[in-house]
Amino acid sequence: MADVLVVENVVKTFGALRAVDGVSLSVREGEVFGVAGPNGSGKSTLFNIITGIPFHADSGRILFDGTPIERMPPHAICRAGIARTFQTETDFETLSLFDNVKLGTVYGHARGMSEEEQRRVTRETLEFVGLGGDHDRPAGDISVFDKKRLMIASALATKPRLLLLDEPASGLTRPEIRETSALIRRLSETGVTIVLIEHVLPLLLTVSNRLMVLNFGQVLTEGHPKEVVKNEQVIEAYLGKRGDHGRDAA
Amino acid sequence: MTVDVPAIIVSGVVLASLYAMMATGLALVWNTLGIFNFAHGIFMTLGAYIAWTISDEAGLGWGLAGGFAIAVATMIGGGLATYGLLVKPFQNRKDIVLVVVMTTLAGSFFLENTGRLIWGPRLKQLQRVVEGTVQPLGVSISAHELVIIISTPLILLALYAFLRWTRTGSAIRAIAQNQDSALLIGINVPRLYALSFALSAGLAGLAGALLGGIRFIVPNMGSEPLLKAFIVVIFGGLGSLGGTIVGAYVIGLIESTSTYFVGIYWTNAVMFAIFIFILIFRPTGLFGRN
Repeated sequence: MADVLVVENVVKTFGALRAVDGVSLSVREGEVFGVAGPNGSGKSTLFNIITGIPFHADSGRILFDGTPIERMPPHAICRAGIARTFQTETDFETLSLFDNVKLGTVYGHARGMSEEEQRRVTRETLEFVGLGGDHDRPAGDISVFDKKRLMIASALATKPRLLLLDEPASGLTRPEIRETSALIRRLSETGVTIVLIEHVLPLLLTVSNRLMVLNFGQVLTEGHPKEVVKNEQVIEAYLGKRGDHGRDAA
Repeated sequence: MTVDVPAIIVSGVVLASLYAMMATGLALVWNTLGIFNFAHGIFMTLGAYIAWTISDEAGLGWGLAGGFAIAVATMIGGGLATYGLLVKPFQNRKDIVLVVVMTTLAGSFFLENTGRLIWGPRLKQLQRVVEGTVQPLGVSISAHELVIIISTPLILLALYAFLRWTRTGSAIRAIAQNQDSALLIGINVPRLYALSFALSAGLAGLAGALLGGIRFIVPNMGSEPLLKAFIVVIFGGLGSLGGTIVGAYVIGLIESTSTYFVGIYWTNAVMFAIFIFILIFRPTGLFGRN
């Protein structure tokens, strides 16, 4: 299958710290590509430089559908078809759930829709992520799990072809993690390509087609998730003692 | 002693209207960009000077409507230039709030002295929008002041409607709440920053052109309204545009009451005392969010 996203040798430094140090990867159309690694290994920085929010890479190339995007402004990257969620909840707190998601349909990829169509897409998107009920509640009043889903809905409303999810399961309970896992599968079935950063390993292992592990800003290994977690280097750098597939303590 | 309450109210509302227009622009930029624009006062001054140059017989003599329109339009351009030159280059710095205080202050001094060179030290006054006097609540004021009293809420209502019901307005509100998320859903944040700056400067220019009809136009005429606008924004509550507007009317009325009882020289001291006293009990201002 064609590569949707190709990252070539990207570098991002903060002073003396090389947060992302020559990372290359390619993500195939339709797959769920998992990214693991200890805290500070450069996972979120990698998402930051792909989306340009809040900064670009110092060097290296990023191709989306063959088009270089490493210098595009963030809103243009979004409109090209890449959406992301953040590790911590970022929504527009005083706006309703409905308005939060509707802004995505208005400003994202789906320009030129009629008002009625925007409203329909907004409703469908909210229901798709499992946020039924009252869509007029302010986003500041909902639970962490609902906020995570709202963030995914806002990202989806921009009609992305590539969705970058940054720790969608952090801070969630086990049943909520199971629901998130099911949601990611449903998302994947719609054809959207997903790159998933996650600390919750069971989630990564069940939904990812391929898994990459970062350490100190570099790619430690990449491959089939079941193979990757057996890799000695990975166990040493990240997983602690062998067989510990529970929630990461790092 | 009989207290002339209607006079206090009417003169307070005139002041409040100007403060509201100034402070709303200042608050719009604060809410959207998270910075205070110290060049906001100079937009007011330049608005007045430009309106004078265009409209007055000693200038181009193109009439008051032309003067107002060109003053506002030039200030919108001035706002865009100020954003592009004094704010945008520092946008990604962590200490942007501090840096922008300095760059906008510097810009403000530069423009104030440029104004002094262009227009000279002689006092100027704009023609009034409407001549004659009127007597609301039995208080005799110029018809021009009544125009200010009536037009301010209408202008602010138009701004509210723009922010509340238009596509661009809701995007500006979204940025004010969360810049990263706004970028994430494809909003062109730098462009809307520029727009907020332009709107804010246009409002200040309009306030200046209106003030030029009741006060003399001098190079530092924007300084005091800017100071008051800061007080209003903080008093009303950072982050709340409605609070800013209410704050403007409260401050205007405090000022007129204080002027009536203790005279103009003590008014600032009284106002700051009340301001500090209220902030002790409500540190976030009247309607501010934590």
